[in-house]
Amino acid sequence: METFLFYFCGAVMLLGAVGTVASRSAVSAACWLILSLLGLAGVFAAVAAPFLAVMQVLVYAGAVMVLFLFVIMMLEGPVLEGETRRPRFWVPVAAVVPAAVILIAAVVWVRRAALPGFSSAAPEGFGQPMRMAELLMGKYLFAFELISIVLLVALIGALALGRNERKLPWK
Amino acid sequence: MLPVILEALLKIIFFFILIMGFVVVLIWGERKGSAFIQDRTGPNRASIGGIRLAGLVHPVADVFKLLFKEDVAPSQRHPFLYAFAPWLGMVVAMTTYTVIPFGDFLQIGDKVYPMVVADLEIGMLFVLAISSLATYGIALGGWASNSKYTFLGSMRATAQMVSYEITMGLALMGLFLVFGSLRLTDIVGGQGELIWGWLPKWGVVVQPLGFLLFMGAIYAETNRTPFDMSERDSEIVAGYHTEYSSMKFALFFMAEYAHMVVAAALIATLYFGGYQIPWLPRPVLEGHAGPILTGLLVAGGLCSIWIGTLYFRRARREKGWYNDAREREPGVLGTAAVVGGLVMLGSLLLQPWNIGAGGGSIFVSLIQTGAFIGKLVFFAWLFIWVRWTVPSFRYDQVMHLGWKIMLPAGLVNLVVTALWLAAVHR
Repeated sequence: METFLFYFCGAVMLLGAVGTVASRSAVSAACWLILSLLGLAGVFAAVAAPFLAVMQVLVYAGAVMVLFLFVIMMLEGPVLEGETRRPRFWVPVAAVVPAAVILIAAVVWVRRAALPGFSSAAPEGFGQPMRMAELLMGKYLFAFELISIVLLVALIGALALGRNERKLPWK
Repeated sequence: MLPVILEALLKIIFFFILIMGFVVVLIWGERKGSAFIQDRTGPNRASIGGIRLAGLVHPVADVFKLLFKEDVAPSQRHPFLYAFAPWLGMVVAMTTYTVIPFGDFLQIGDKVYPMVVADLEIGMLFVLAISSLATYGIALGGWASNSKYTFLGSMRATAQMVSYEITMGLALMGLFLVFGSLRLTDIVGGQGELIWGWLPKWGVVVQPLGFLLFMGAIYAETNRTPFDMSERDSEIVAGYHTEYSSMKFALFFMAEYAHMVVAAALIATLYFGGYQIPWLPRPVLEGHAGPILTGLLVAGGLCSIWIGTLYFRRARREKGWYNDAREREPGVLGTAAVVGGLVMLGSLLLQPWNIGAGGGSIFVSLIQTGAFIGKLVFFAWLFIWVRWTVPSFRYDQVMHLGWKIMLPAGLVNLVVTALWLAAVHR
């Protein structure tokens, strides 16, 4: 059951990703991206990480993408015209070869490093909020706080850039 | 595997019937309640063979009207998203229910069935995640219709829902701290205790400010007055569903009421003890199951017969008023009430006071589910009550309230709760 869910959600995720880059209208692309993020949440759920799955939906699909859509709809995101030129012969090659190289490299690396593969037997409490909190608030507290400072800086930067030039407080 | 799926399916069906039934009753309640508040009569015309049930037949007539209406759609719509948006709202409303407990357990023989579809460890986060997707139904629906009014409605709704989601999360965090769990069954279980031996440890008692914030945020999330920015009639026609008709409109309409039922269930579960009856915990109820059942049957039977006689008096009084099928109504209802009352009294012959331990357990489970539904009804009615009593906010007022008042208040609530808990548990 979990294996089926894992591959099904993975397929949905890939479909969404392809749709995102293939669609011409910005709103459609955003919708495909939402589908892709939901697929990723499904993958998290299938590998016994319910907290990550829920956070994926809550933060990315539920908040970040809502703001994306909001802005795209407000600014009437562009709709690209259809491609008239026939694709050159090297376009599919350029698409497939790097993907294949990355895939082979990843498989070889996983084999070499003898990482534990996908198994349904997760340790007790794995992926539950309590365990996540222990990691975030204990072991990785410093990194966690650093990231929040990065976000704060980004927020202030966005505010500073978005403001009218002449009304900047330091001018 | 199969019994598990069957059990889950039965609970899902229970919730499905509960929601759809409530949607019908709430639409009726909205019309009849607004009429009551505005001193009107309200809907009373639709009838089946003269039986009007105070307007309850109207929703049935509505269903047929909406099913057979022409589906008018704007020609410049986005074909897929236009059809997809109403469906999404309904799916989101229906999915949220899976983690809400409607009782603690049901014991039949040796088997114990928990009365919740999926008792997730992350419980409440799941509800927040799924309900955050509800925004898309409204945003995409308004955008895909390709009309200025629907677009304005969906923009307003999106801005409002995103703003108030944060307050909702902050308000809930205080509650999670107090009960030490995200799991809804734990939160409800914790509310069965008493503080100082007499005060029920309900969420509203330990988190009064959190309750007010949550209540305000959830009214904004369901887009109900005073936060009906997305469908303000006097400004933007009907908001995001202006361009929808027939069953697609009906889905939006039903989704609004289904969201109301979810919201009412959440308020009852998180802040008013869910299925818990204050001062009457399960062991006490089980110990006196026989006498309580007998008392309920006698009281219910007598009340029902009394109501029946009232109907008969009305039938005598109204004789010759209408000269059509409507005159049958009080007589039919009165007969039904008297027969129901006699059945309740007649069941005393089965000796309900000898209900036994197993039967008592089932009876208590039913009573607790009844308590949950009772609280749900009250908070659903509160939505209607507020809508027809309180004037709605202007757009800037909504944003001001959300970002400058409720968000800081939520932070203060969280910090105070954390400090207080740290002081108590030190």
